[in-house]
Formats: sequence, structure tokens, C-alpha cells
Amino acid sequence: MVVLENVVKTYRRRRGDVKALSDINLQIEKGEFVVVCGPSGSGKTTLLMTIAAMLQPTSGSVCVEQNDLYTMSIRDRAKFRAENIGFVFQMFHLVPYLNIIENVVLACRCVSPLSAVADGKGGQQAGGVASRDSGAVKANELLKQLGLAKRAFHRPSELSAGEKQRAAIARALFNRPKIILADEPTGNLDPDNAASVIGYLSEFHHSGGTVILATHGTEAEQFADRIIHLHNGSIDNSG
Amino acid sequence: MTILNLIFKEIIHRKINFILGLLAVLIAVALFISFFTAGQASSRETTRLMRDMGFNLRIIPKKTDMSKFWMAGFSEHTMPEEYIDTFASQKDISYNHLVATLQAKILWRDVEVILTGLEPERCPPGREKPPMSFEIKQGTAYIGYELAQRLELKKGSTIDIRGKTLTVEKALSESGGVDDIRIQCHLRDAQDILNLKGQINEIKAIDCLCFALTDDPLTVLRKELDAVLPEAKTIQMKPMAEARAQTRQLVRNVFAVIMPIVVVACGAWIGVLAIMNVRDRQQEIGIMRALGYDSGRITLLFLGKAVIIGLLGAAAGFFIGTAMALNFGPGIFKVTAKAIKPEYVWLAWSLIVAPVFTAVSSFIPAMIAITYDPAVTLREE
Repeated sequence: MVVLENVVKTYRRRRGDVKALSDINLQIEKGEFVVVCGPSGSGKTTLLMTIAAMLQPTSGSVCVEQNDLYTMSIRDRAKFRAENIGFVFQMFHLVPYLNIIENVVLACRCVSPLSAVADGKGGQQAGGVASRDSGAVKANELLKQLGLAKRAFHRPSELSAGEKQRAAIARALFNRPKIILADEPTGNLDPDNAASVIGYLSEFHHSGGTVILATHGTEAEQFADRIIHLHNGSIDNSG
Repeated sequence: MTILNLIFKEIIHRKINFILGLLAVLIAVALFISFFTAGQASSRETTRLMRDMGFNLRIIPKKTDMSKFWMAGFSEHTMPEEYIDTFASQKDISYNHLVATLQAKILWRDVEVILTGLEPERCPPGREKPPMSFEIKQGTAYIGYELAQRLELKKGSTIDIRGKTLTVEKALSESGGVDDIRIQCHLRDAQDILNLKGQINEIKAIDCLCFALTDDPLTVLRKELDAVLPEAKTIQMKPMAEARAQTRQLVRNVFAVIMPIVVVACGAWIGVLAIMNVRDRQQEIGIMRALGYDSGRITLLFLGKAVIIGLLGAAAGFFIGTAMALNFGPGIFKVTAKAIKPEYVWLAWSLIVAPVFTAVSSFIPAMIAITYDPAVTLREE
């Protein structure tokens, strides 16, 4: 499902080039829960962004769902991302001037109305066929499932860190993506909230979704099908 | 969640940025409108003052001896009355308010008077304007102050000049000049009195207010007259004409110097605010890109906001600018107190130009926004 072949990513800096990914070859199957471990600066985020169709590698190819991402146009890549990939970040990245339900529905705007129907998932496929009203209904359901129903009309600044991250998960789940990419999703959370977030990601995994989680902690390892260790941009070992 | 919805919510969230942007447009539009409104009024008032000063062009027979002309105040020669028909029918001339005139010095009731016959004003085709001077009806006369006093004439008095009976329409107030010994009547009556049927000795006129200070109006005016009436020549009352052009140019200079500075300063101000806004919103842009918002939608977020600032700033600026012109204009442009009035056509122009201006000022920041690498901004803590 996710195939990286000879992926190299080099950042060009004034003081010299920095190789963030070095000849990565990786295959992640559909429905896998993969944890990418490694210290800060090992290339975890770069790897996730490359898989997310947001960071073009210097060389090599990235295929997701048999789509060679970086041969697609920027517009098509954005559409692909909106329809197939959900994100959870360490810093939550909720839009500060929108309330929680609006933050969740924000993802709805970007999915084409026909895509979900076309791939046979029908009305259940949230963003795709969701009208604005049904989008709000679906967002409410998600918030209820994540224990945020009472926070739906609150601004992000009024929420705790754990609540913000759950809101971010609701946003990531809204379009029923095939893959969730989570970059240090528990980095700013206490152990209880961290466990809760990992639990939600695990639920998504059990429902058939693929999770790729980058972390330098160990709390997600028990849920992982596979653990990939990154060191200086290279995979140390896998499985 | 529509783009417009997002724009309004962001505006409410970042009020200071919005208010500062609005202020920039408001100041630019208000200054422009106040200067323009007061300037227009100044221009109208200048025209009116010039009108009150009288005609600044005199077309007389070419053979006129200028020494005698200046001594007498009019030409001793005459020209056919048809000259004015020919001249007034020309489309592309810089003359306007043409008045056929016949003047002569006569002895009447043992007093030397100047008899002046005037025809109603004529304007070239397509340039019709309200008359500058009063119209004298046939059979009536306007009597200068000195004559009226000496001969005890008043409105309604009947006078007889060389067998022609006229009714005094008005005894004029003191002018302090030659008009005090003048009898003004209709051109036909003057021609009858002087036995000069179909003759005039002057066409009074005013130039078209279309010359710049750098032009030589007299050369242009004479060239135009020569082409149509080679038997006549033009004299320009230079001090009057120059005062007129300079007053008009003064207002233009204010516009030419101040307005570009205001426009550039406000454009830069809006641009800087937009850049600050883009920097503040890097992560928001990043997450939108991650959610699949394409460059067009991100651009719309910024340009849409700029257009809203432009529209609101233009509307508020127009009314504030007009209020400024009405309140402070008379103090700046001393002669325009009564002539200042709202120029509503500029509200429509402001509502078109200001949003375009703000959108252009925000264009580079919007382009910066779409080039932000979401992979970088989303990684920042």
C-alpha cells in the first residue's frame, strides 16, 4: 500500500547539505500499525511528510495506493491527501479562530463530492459525500465518540492539551482516511491522555486503517505491528 | 465551511491586524475624497470667480489700431455680424461664451457715454454652458451708476437715444470703472442707434480652461481664429487668464504631490500588515495544505480578506473624506465654502478601486503564503 523506493531527502542549507533521509526502502501494508522510532533529528517527520505527499524527496519514489505521489500535479496531490490521509501532530495545529466542530469540518471542504461514491464507500464516507449539514452531524458524532461533545463550540484555546489532541484526531478521522500519519501525537500529553490518544489510533487501525506513528517514546510500541528504527536518516532494522 | 466564512472568522479573531489594514485604506480614501471634493469645489469656484471677472478674450477687426483701441477701449473699425455665426459654429475651438458686441462713444444729454450693444451669449456646438452675463432684452437698457445718478434714471424710466426709445431695466451699482458711464442695450438697438446694421466691432469670449501652465494659450487661440476668421485678431487679458490657470494648477499640484505619497505609503502599510498576517498564520496555512486546500483557496483567503478591507475602507473613507471636506475644506480652500458638496460618483469609484488596490498590495504576501512549505511549518513548535 505504501511503498518507498530508494528515497533520499537532502535539505540544502547555507552551511552545507543535510541528508534527512538516506536511501530508504520501505513497504507498509494496508491495515498495518507501524511505529517509527528514533531520536530527534533522525528523519521521522521528514519520512512522514514524504509519505503524506507534502515533501518531495530529492530522489526515489513514493507510492501510496498505487499512486506515484510525486509524479502527480500539485493540485492532484492535494486532492489525494484530502481523500486518503489524516494527520495528527504533536502541536495539534487546530485553527485558533474556529471552534472545535468547525476545525473538524474544515477537512470536509476539500474532498470532491464524487470520490467516495466512486470508490464504493457510499454515504458512509464522510467528507466525500457530506453536505455541509451532514458534515456537521458526522463531526458531532466523532466528537461524541472522542468525549468532546460538550466542547464542540469551544475554541482551541479553551481546551486542555488532551482535548486538543482528541479534536485533532476527530479532524483526522473526519474524511475516513485510509492512512493516519501521526507525528509525536503524545509528545505534549500526560500519560493518561497519551494512552487515550494511542487508544483512538489503535481503534482506527482495528477498523482497517493504516497508522504510521512517529515517536521517540515507547508507549505505542505495544500496539504496533512493526517498529522501524531510524537513525541519521537510515533504517536501522525493522519488524 | 466556506472561504468567506473562514475570512470573517479570521478577521474577528485578529481584529487589530484588520483594523490597522482598514485604517490604511480609510486614510487613503478619505484623503483622496476630501482633497478631490474640496478641489472640485475650488475648481468650480475658480470658474465662477473668473466668470465674475469677465471675459478674458477679445476678438476685434485685424486692422484695428491698437493705440487707438487702448485709448478708447474699443475698436474704431467694425466687422460683419456673420463673423460670430461662423465662429460659434466651429466645434474644435478653445473659445467659449461668445458675445457679439458693438461699442461706440456718443454724446447723449450733453454727457459723453459709452454705448454698448450686446447679443446673448453663444457656445460652440456640444459645449453649451450657462451664460456668464445677464441677457439684455431688446428695447431695454442697463444704465451705469454715474449716468443714473447724474440724469436721475431708475428702473422703469424711459430714455431716448438718437430716436430709439429704451426702458431702463436696471440702474447699476457703482463699479469704480468705465462701466459707470456705460449704457448697455441689445445689439440690435445699438446697431439702430449707431446706424451700423449688421456690424459689430468685437466678440467677447473666454478660453476653455483646458490649457496647462506650460502651454502658450495665445498662440493656440490665435491659430484657431486665423483658420476661421482671418480678418480678425485676438487679444488676451493676460493677468486674468494667468490667475485663472494658476489657481486651477494649484489644486492639481496638491493632488500630484500628496496623493502618490499617500497611495504608496498606504499600499506599503497594507503590504506589511498582510506579510505579518501571513507570518502569524504559517501553521494554519500548513494544516490547510495538509488537509488538501490547494494554492487557489489559500490565495483566496488572503486576497478575499484584502478585498473586504478595501470595500469597507472605501465606504468609510468616502464618508469621512466627504465630512472632512465639508468641515475643513472651506478653511483650506478659502473661496470654496459654498461650493463644496458630496461627490457621490466617487463612492462608486472608491468601491471599485480600493479593493483592487488592497488586493494588489496583498498579492505578494499571498504568494508567500502559498509557497510556505507545510512540511516545515507543521514541524515547528
